[in-house]
Amino acid sequence: MVDIVVLIKQMPDLEQVKPDPTTGEPQLKNVPLKLENLSENSVEEAVRLKEKYGGKVTAVIFGNEQSSAIMKKAYAMGADEGYIITGFKGNNPSLTAKVLGEKIKALKHDIVILGNQSADSISGLLGGKIASYLGIPLLGNANSIEVDGSTVKVKRALEENNQVIQANFPVVVSVTQEINEPRLPPVMQIMQAGRKPINTEAATITGREVRIISNKAPKSERKKIIFEDVDKGIAEVAKVLKEEMR
Amino acid sequence: MYVFSIIVLIGLLAAAGLFLFTIVKLLWNAVKIPEKKPGLKLQLGRRIYLVIRNVFLQAKLFKDLGGGIMHALMFWGFIAFAAYSSDFLLSAIFPGFHLISGTLERVAFFTVDIFAMVVLLDVIHAVIRRWGIKIKRYQGYNGFEAWFILSLIAILMTTYFILAVLRLDHISQNIPGSIGESLVPMNTPISYALASVLPKISVSAGYYVYWTAFWIHALDFMIFLAYIPTSKHLHLFAAPFNVLFAKEDQAILKPIDFEKETRFGATDVRDFNWKDYFDFYACTECGRCTANCPANLTGKTLSPRDIIWDIRETLMAQGNEYRTKGGDRDQIFKTVIGDPIKEEDLWSCTTCMACVEQCPVMIDHVSKIVDMRRSLVLNQGKAPREVIDLTRNIEQYGSPYAIDPSTRADWAEGLDVVDLTKTPDAQYDVLYWVGCVASFDKRNQEVAKSIVKILKKADVKFAILGSKEKCTGDPARRTGNEYLADMMIKENVETLKANRVQKVITGCAHCFNSLKNEYKDFGIELEVHHHTEYINKLISDKKLNVKSIDSDTLEKYTYHDPCYVGRYNKTYEEPRDVVKTFALNYEEMEMNKSKALCCGAGGGRLWMEEKEGTMISHKRIEQADNVGASTVVTACPYCMTMLDDARKTTGREEKMKIQDVSELIASRIE
Ligand code: SF4
Ligand code: SF4
Repeated sequence: MVDIVVLIKQMPDLEQVKPDPTTGEPQLKNVPLKLENLSENSVEEAVRLKEKYGGKVTAVIFGNEQSSAIMKKAYAMGADEGYIITGFKGNNPSLTAKVLGEKIKALKHDIVILGNQSADSISGLLGGKIASYLGIPLLGNANSIEVDGSTVKVKRALEENNQVIQANFPVVVSVTQEINEPRLPPVMQIMQAGRKPINTEAATITGREVRIISNKAPKSERKKIIFEDVDKGIAEVAKVLKEEMR
Repeated sequence: MYVFSIIVLIGLLAAAGLFLFTIVKLLWNAVKIPEKKPGLKLQLGRRIYLVIRNVFLQAKLFKDLGGGIMHALMFWGFIAFAAYSSDFLLSAIFPGFHLISGTLERVAFFTVDIFAMVVLLDVIHAVIRRWGIKIKRYQGYNGFEAWFILSLIAILMTTYFILAVLRLDHISQNIPGSIGESLVPMNTPISYALASVLPKISVSAGYYVYWTAFWIHALDFMIFLAYIPTSKHLHLFAAPFNVLFAKEDQAILKPIDFEKETRFGATDVRDFNWKDYFDFYACTECGRCTANCPANLTGKTLSPRDIIWDIRETLMAQGNEYRTKGGDRDQIFKTVIGDPIKEEDLWSCTTCMACVEQCPVMIDHVSKIVDMRRSLVLNQGKAPREVIDLTRNIEQYGSPYAIDPSTRADWAEGLDVVDLTKTPDAQYDVLYWVGCVASFDKRNQEVAKSIVKILKKADVKFAILGSKEKCTGDPARRTGNEYLADMMIKENVETLKANRVQKVITGCAHCFNSLKNEYKDFGIELEVHHHTEYINKLISDKKLNVKSIDSDTLEKYTYHDPCYVGRYNKTYEEPRDVVKTFALNYEEMEMNKSKALCCGAGGGRLWMEEKEGTMISHKRIEQADNVGASTVVTACPYCMTMLDDARKTTGREEKMKIQDVSELIASRIE
């Protein structure tokens, strides 16, 4: 039996975000939110571990009204229980870790799973911060997880070598995209997910936040060269690049 | 009563009993096992027509001419022989009683006599086809059954002739129970000819020959009767009913009521309905479906015949177990997916409908294959990687492409097209449904632009939905994700209703089929035209003036039928008529119209890799090359993508172009 807390994240669908043509600021209005890709891998891994060893998967998300759709997705994939923590703003990983850490403490957690970095902020700090806040080991950048009794064994591909590391419960594991291919939830589960209650809690801890003053797409002068003829292949691309670099 | 009469009577009752026993078992399966209903409509007139056409006239069999003629003669001979056999057996049981007499008897015997010879020759023909020239589609399947049944037929015919010759030689006239004694020689001309060339034998010898032939004939008949329902010859009984019960819209998918149903798709034999059971019972193992399956033809293991036959065998075995032992249904009815039906095979299907088109007994393979995909996707979330990505994109972006949906109508910029997203109150007569591929794929955007040009030239007041248009749901539907398809369709139905759409034209074969045939199940009736059909009408109404261009004398054209325009909607002639308004050199490919080879993209295959065997599209391009086509004309963005790619990857770039019907017209109406 393994009790798993999986930390998930919502983010605007980047495919549908366009910079404002005059200010360069991303226009986030009306852009649909989605379950961030690595969070999907995290849920998938948590559910796979539950299916293999038994136990319970609890998902936790920072969110708002829109987050219930995201949580339902996690439910459909197999999460058993979910908490939306509202009222938390800010961009300070230490503070985020503190709020999440407090919530995790209140839940049974043999393993805490999260993505090794999120696609929007890309700080990659959260796993470490949470581990230190909880005072438990971090097994970072896992591309596979195995459990043996109360030992968690993780494989990770580093730049030059493949490592296997392990630690005893409770641990924080941050996962990479390679760890699995998230499933397509079966319909029965999607429908049941719609009926399952979602817990919403307001964040109690506050602190200093890092505010984003400006977030602009870098100005780029594109040449807009289109390779009409794909089959001319790399040679053609190389030729054009050479010419352009002159 | 004579002793022999009693023996014949007992034998006949036993054979009929065995026959009925098996039939009752099969019907019991069809009543007790299924948990779904076929939802058939009465449509008596259509059904009678079907039985006359496809049973009595054997119409679908002639799609394979050689085999068709052979079978039709066998079938008609069989009917004629039924009259003879009834008379033969009744006279044997009640000597002196005759079922038929007078003119009727003379006509019946004449027919039987001719057909007995025809059937005998036919048997020889069949033996040659099967074991001599070894026709591919027969290979590897129940050779014993075929051999056994052909022997029974041959023996039946031979003994008929022996008895007839003895009658003509006046040997049987005093034997009780002999038949046809009042006929004149010319009523049975073949037997008469035989009698005149065969040496005469003595009455006493003739007597022994008579009884030997009599018993062999009677026994043969009884074995035949008892054997039929246990073999593939069950089709003799099941096929006529299967044709009678056939659905009007074969291969058209039906919605799932997610509120009520709990078993999604087809996992095991319980998930097929009784009409499907007749499909399984009616299969003759003829292999016509597999012989025309594009997947099978290009070296994939998918064989629609095996799909049907495997489920049939599973059904027979599990049905037996359930009938004799009863017990827990979940234990007995194990899934058919995985074993015996391979998952890869289910995913190899392009839903091209060639199998359905060819099947002489009107079996619907496609809906079963999709139902099994539904089982995998809806119950287990299992699908090839590419299908999962496809699903995600449709879910997230409303199209198979991970592209911002707000850019959907960007291709129309500067073309002065009424976009209902931008001007919702605009007046228009026809909605041009663009479809995802023509909206986002560069090559196919050219087709969309051509359609716009044509509609404008013909002064058609049309509009597009712009970014309100979403995927019709077809790719999700045919890859088994009915849940997602259901959402897409319902959303589109809302949009169509909100925009008061009644008349639609579309350039996509798949959108065409969905909107025309499948949206009605979701509460909207639309008048839907495929663009080729619509353009053809514009030309014949003189709204368009098509001019030849210089290159027309040099170009050689051929037309590739998109499955969802051709087989699904029987639109074969309109696109050809359009092409023939300008094409001077035109030639059909080897496989065309109802037999056309798929491009390989349907059933969601456009988004999947084709790893097994060779590419279907390559085979199709070869066929186009074989007739020396310099321009392959088509009428579907899926076909365009596949064929254009095949043209390039097989090194035919220089000598061949792929063009949509609309592009060719657009360049000839300046
Ligand atoms: S629909 Fe086409 S690809 Fe699928 S089994 Fe039938 S013939 Fe083969
Ligand atoms: S399904 Fe139809 S075409 Fe295929 S083998 Fe059976 S009877 Fe023949």
